[in-house]
Amino acid sequence: MVQYFQDIYAAVGSALVGMGVTIKHIWKKPVTLQYPDERQVMPPRFRGFVHNDMTKCDSCGICAKLCPVDCIYIETEGKGKDRYMTRYAIDYNKCIWCSMCTENCHTGSITMSHDYDHSVYDRRTLVYEFMDPTQQKIPCHRATREELGWWVEPKAEKKAAPAKPATKPEAKPEAAPEADAKPASPADEPSGDKGEDK
Amino acid sequence: MEILTAWLQGLPGFGGMSDQGLFITGAALMATLMFTVMALCAIVFTWMERKVAGFIQSRYGPMRTGRWHGWAQAVADMLKILGKEDIIPAEADKGLFVFAPLLVLLGSLLAWAAVPWAPGFSAANLDLGLFYIFAASSMVVMGILMAGWASNNKWALYGAARGAAQMVSYEIPLALATIPVIMHVGSLNTQDIVVAQQGGILNWFVLRDPFLFIAFWMYFIASIAETNRGPFDMPETESELVAGYHTEYTGMRFAFFFLAEYANLFLVSVIAVMVFLGGWWSPIPGLDFAPALTFVIKGVLMVFLNMWVRWTLPRVRVDQLMYLCWKVMIPVTLLCIVGSGVLMITSGALG
Repeated sequence: MVQYFQDIYAAVGSALVGMGVTIKHIWKKPVTLQYPDERQVMPPRFRGFVHNDMTKCDSCGICAKLCPVDCIYIETEGKGKDRYMTRYAIDYNKCIWCSMCTENCHTGSITMSHDYDHSVYDRRTLVYEFMDPTQQKIPCHRATREELGWWVEPKAEKKAAPAKPATKPEAKPEAAPEADAKPASPADEPSGDKGEDK
Repeated sequence: MEILTAWLQGLPGFGGMSDQGLFITGAALMATLMFTVMALCAIVFTWMERKVAGFIQSRYGPMRTGRWHGWAQAVADMLKILGKEDIIPAEADKGLFVFAPLLVLLGSLLAWAAVPWAPGFSAANLDLGLFYIFAASSMVVMGILMAGWASNNKWALYGAARGAAQMVSYEIPLALATIPVIMHVGSLNTQDIVVAQQGGILNWFVLRDPFLFIAFWMYFIASIAETNRGPFDMPETESELVAGYHTEYTGMRFAFFFLAEYANLFLVSVIAVMVFLGGWWSPIPGLDFAPALTFVIKGVLMVFLNMWVRWTLPRVRVDQLMYLCWKVMIPVTLLCIVGSGVLMITSGALG
């Protein structure tokens, strides 16, 4: 009989404790991030989709050679000073986000961005083309690049210290607008798609 | 009803109507109104349930459909459910299968007739109002058993058997818990019960005496079991019985069960308000400018309490369920009846 009343007391008590816990959570702000509207701030070294700054890339091909899954496609035409890049593409079906390409890029053009939500309906669209050769081919040779006003990698400090500030300001304003318009930037297009599809 | 017929008589074109015609028109109007309220209940409470569940679990619940907090989610769900294919299993008992959801819906809709929304305003002002409500709502048991049997599915039958056992058992403490109130009022008329609680929060039956306070909580627990909601959702245990008695139902027929569940939820909440929580009277005497609104707000608060319990407590086992009903709640409600009666005699309320 005593046990009976103790049980009732324990049951009512524990139910009330539980109710107290849940009512507290009702007034708290939920932990959910409203994803497409609010986004998590990624840590600085987050490995998102690879971004290649086509104004800087001189198609040396190091990234493609280092890539353990061979997901970077670079095509060029011509030789020597007339060598031009006609294709730079990354196949995200293959990419394993190992960051080998970005760590070894000598111009620093290829970087890991903080984009991560590029969902697509067709996996063929996961091959991102970064440039359109019908618009403009990208010169590869240092001399040609300098001549046409493209960004060039600064030489080692001892030699190029005076050259660096000279080339940069004049190259930038020219190169930047055409280069920005040209490459199929991975940041713009797929995110646009995603917005519509939703 | 009387108010409605009087109002109809005042309308142009209705003046020359016979009493019978007026009665039928009024009844049809009232039934439409009740059904609309019921459908609204289902829509509003599904949304509310998901929001309450969400916030209790530190998330938002529906946020996308409609602009503000996914308010249109329930509407979208209803439209979706109406567009679903209507499937009757080949081995099912077709007649019963079709009839069961209607019976469940009918049971809760009938009970709505005696709910006193405002002074003098209830669909049917019956002398046996409260008794009638319990009688009508027990038809739901039959509907559930019918659905489980007709589905010809073992899970559905298990769910239905559990549902029937549970609802039949819990109807007893449910009705017993209201008896002390009936003793105080001396009438089963729902209007009279509310009128007897006039004069502020201290005159509500919950706070009249300690036994009535306990009786209120007994009623509340029994009402949760009566509506088959957590922690007493044995008939629908998703983890064991798929969905219990409505496993085989789709589309509109499933929507009927859904509608009936939420209508029942509001019904038991509203009865708790009517019997224990002062009906349409506001907590502070003299503020009774919107009786129907007060009544509905109290009902919604009770529904919230129901949801809060559902999303807090774990489901009880079948044996615990029966133990709670027969060995705890019925003795306690009987004690409440005796105790309240003794208090009435000693305080001289009987004169």
